[in-house]
Amino acid sequence: MENKIEISDLKVYYGDKQALNGISLDVYPNEILGIIGPAQSGKTTLLKVINRTLEFTQDFSVEGSVKLDGVDIYSIGDVHALRRRIGMVLPLPVGLPLSIYDNVAFAPRTSGLRDKAELDVIVERCLTQAALWDEVKDRLDSLGTKLSGGQQQRLTIARALSHQPEILCLDEFSIAVDPITTMRIEDVLKDLKNEMTILLVTNLVQQAKRLANRTAFMLNGDLIEIDDTDVIFSENPAEKSTYDYVNGNFG
Amino acid sequence: MNRSELIIQIIALATLTIACVLVWVVTTEVFHVEGEILSVPMGIDSGSDLIDRLYSMIPLLCVAMLLSIAFAFYIEEWLSETTWYYRIINQQISILANIPSLIYGILVICIFLFQVKEFLNFTLVLAIVFLVVPVIIRTTQSAIRGVDLSVREAAYALGANRWQVITDHVFPRAFPKITGGIFTVISRVLAIAALLIIVCELRTSIIQDVSSYEISSDVFVLISLALLSCVLSSFLQINRNS
Repeated sequence: MENKIEISDLKVYYGDKQALNGISLDVYPNEILGIIGPAQSGKTTLLKVINRTLEFTQDFSVEGSVKLDGVDIYSIGDVHALRRRIGMVLPLPVGLPLSIYDNVAFAPRTSGLRDKAELDVIVERCLTQAALWDEVKDRLDSLGTKLSGGQQQRLTIARALSHQPEILCLDEFSIAVDPITTMRIEDVLKDLKNEMTILLVTNLVQQAKRLANRTAFMLNGDLIEIDDTDVIFSENPAEKSTYDYVNGNFG
Repeated sequence: MNRSELIIQIIALATLTIACVLVWVVTTEVFHVEGEILSVPMGIDSGSDLIDRLYSMIPLLCVAMLLSIAFAFYIEEWLSETTWYYRIINQQISILANIPSLIYGILVICIFLFQVKEFLNFTLVLAIVFLVVPVIIRTTQSAIRGVDLSVREAAYALGANRWQVITDHVFPRAFPKITGGIFTVISRVLAIAALLIIVCELRTSIIQDVSSYEISSDVFVLISLALLSCVLSSFLQINRNS
């Protein structure tokens, strides 16, 4: 089985500051890869490199290679097409100033889909997948930004799913979501795993334990360890700092 | 402050100084020929003539506004903020936008009315361009910068290209503030027009009899419209969560 993403010796600098110190890891197709680690460990930077939104940061530089299905992403000319293959959910919900319907239909429309019936199907599918359909089906025309925080976050998940990405990156999605909704989204993610590869960056180590097939532990821009989730959360992972972090001894 | 920053500051100061010297030279020249002013034929005899000319400037005003908005989007979205020409353009626009509109009015009167000795449409064109362009660019720029980076990132992450991000997200969010800027400019133009009308009418009435001069109703209309658009503009530029 071929790897979905191959990252080798990835170094990222913001100005003089080095954010990632040469990371190498592979992501398998249709797995949930949990990425855990304290703040400033480079988790978000890693996701931003993969969908190339790092390019909005001033003064950054990237070394090493990131391959998606064997193709180096920095050699891809059409960056927008690349981003359409990757769904991104940010820590805080960003409601685009559009109606709920238009929020979800935005990405399909940008790729040229205009047929109302098809859009209806996509909107219903994505909102259902994000466990939001029942709550909003009667008011699809109201503003997305008027929803509650948890609903908005589910809306961003629906939006990220709308262009049927191959990879879904979730960056601490549960910060603004209540525990019950979090559990519902986690159930959704378990189903989605059959259709796509999921990168789950999280501050909640228990969330990675519940969901991830494999877990990577990052610290200060280094990849300390990557292994099956069972091993990481067992009594004897390869590195002691992993054990300490997972068991709450620091971080 | 690094070297390039310093050079930019120097260029900005130099332009400002040149502008000041220009104003000073022109005004002293005018005061010097004071005696002649009143007998110079202007080609305009009353305020209503001037108003007619101003009406003919409305299409130009619209074009200038649209071009300035487009230019503001260009420098904010396409030029990198770290380049030296971005910083020079920015600096110059700031200076021009901060000059009180009265100065432009005086310049129009001084340079063109008295030096060229004919009231050309070109005079009005130049005044309108200087009044309108910097202010519109400045307000549009700040409106664009007011749009959250997270909105852009979210839209880009969905695979939208730059053009789609601008038309679908940045422009709608910036629109109220841009309209606010347009009203600011309209109020500036109206105020200067009122001033010019008073000057024109005073001039004709001085020749006859100063005491018979009455400010025409046109002036009052212009001034109240200017105040109204001022209020509108500040109303539109108040920060609101959409």
